[in-house]
Amino acid sequence: MKTVLAIGILLICSACTSMGVEPWERDVLAKDEMQLTTDALEAATDDHIYFSKEASSGGRGFGGGGCGCN
Amino acid sequence: MSRSKERSISVALATATCGLLGSSIPAVVDAQEEPNWDINTSLLYYGEDEDRVQEFSLKAIIRRLYTDDRVFTFGLTIDGLTGASPSGAIPLDSPQTITNASGNSVYTVPAGELPLDEEFRDTRVAITANWQQPVGESSQVNIGASASKEYDYLHFGLSGRFSKDFNKRNTTVSAGFAVASDENDPEGGAPIPLSSLLDIGDLSNHLGTDDKDIVDVVLGVSQVISRNLVVQANYSFSNESGYLNNPFKILSVVDATTGDTISRVAGPGGGPSHEFLFENRPNDRSKQSLYTQAKYYMDGNVLDASYRYMTDDWEIDSHTIDLRYRWPVGNDKYLEPHLRFYTQTEAEFYRLSIIDGAPLPVYASSDYRLGDFDAMTAGLKFGWKTSDNNDMSVRVELYQQSGSIPGGQIIGNQAARNNYPDLNAIIAQFSYRFKR
Repeated sequence: MKTVLAIGILLICSACTSMGVEPWERDVLAKDEMQLTTDALEAATDDHIYFSKEASSGGRGFGGGGCGCN
Repeated sequence: MSRSKERSISVALATATCGLLGSSIPAVVDAQEEPNWDINTSLLYYGEDEDRVQEFSLKAIIRRLYTDDRVFTFGLTIDGLTGASPSGAIPLDSPQTITNASGNSVYTVPAGELPLDEEFRDTRVAITANWQQPVGESSQVNIGASASKEYDYLHFGLSGRFSKDFNKRNTTVSAGFAVASDENDPEGGAPIPLSSLLDIGDLSNHLGTDDKDIVDVVLGVSQVISRNLVVQANYSFSNESGYLNNPFKILSVVDATTGDTISRVAGPGGGPSHEFLFENRPNDRSKQSLYTQAKYYMDGNVLDASYRYMTDDWEIDSHTIDLRYRWPVGNDKYLEPHLRFYTQTEAEFYRLSIIDGAPLPVYASSDYRLGDFDAMTAGLKFGWKTSDNNDMSVRVELYQQSGSIPGGQIIGNQAARNNYPDLNAIIAQFSYRFKR
């Protein structure tokens, strides 16, 4: 089992090193709309609304408190 | 390569470039040293139907960008809340009078209607501050602090995050840690868990303030797959301990056969017409979640898809799927449809009501947010560049929650009533982002 896990991790790591782009191929990735969080204010707004109305929070970032609403 | 060596090469390159362009070097260097401001502002309206919660919120995130990727971020939120929130009591075929959570007044709920506590009115001010600093050639540190104040709630938090790039910056691994301390100070004092609602002015069922501590850990990895695709995965662990009750939430004490709330005779000064208890939740909760996200660029369009699985030791499991599609319209405008699907199971101690005469459960809450429900958000955002190259956007979204009471919890007459009405809300937000 440990061997399988080790091989799996090695495969994932070697896959990671062969993935990706060269520095001069980052034109698309550098665009605002391709950032993982495009609109920080909207993301914070949504996190706060859903934190207040649902039993889940966080995931994208910290899910901590800061509001008496839940 | 050392930083000084890199800088000397940069200067040499700048000298050569400026020589070709015929401009002077110091001006270029000065321009690079100038701090930049990136200012995000927004006005939000959040409104629920049936006169439930209404919120207006002003938000700003101000980023000051320094050279060498150092960034100071300051966030400010001012929320104004009004409206009513479900108290947790069940509807009845007759009117019912309930004491406010503060214990100093009562409100009467008409027959057949879901009891809503209309004492819900608050202003919340929240601030955040964050410093981002590169460490060496490929690592970054973020240190942050947060504080917020409501009429009856105070929050302080600290956070730290370390990230490191590998593989030509195609892989980024990060680890974050946050702690927070929150104090609940409801008017009249925090109620004693599972104590009865009493007549007006009788505060013997209230204690003083109560607080909770929160610890969060987030481990993440993001990976550039190709020129058009980037993905990330985060594992989060969060623990809250201390006072985790909602001091405004109550439960109805009902007859084991009819399911109707037990009547009570109020004192001469007024008080509840029926038997109600304050809720009680465990004083510890641990949550774990796995969050995955992919962003894919397709000929100018961007698909942003994420999925989150969360599970906790209150036996709540949830799944969230979030989809956004950014669709350019002309050169400087875009439309962005948004769909979000959410589903959760109920907490193990969620119950619609307490049965009179049966042994009192250790924990009980009928807060609809701990129930079994599905939710969906559908929205559309329109964004455009202003004439001075700043960004504006407007979005309108509809949010709907639809829940159900677990089988076996509905007793007698309760079956004929809507104990878990849908929640419908509108979210409207105008945003303006400018850089200086």
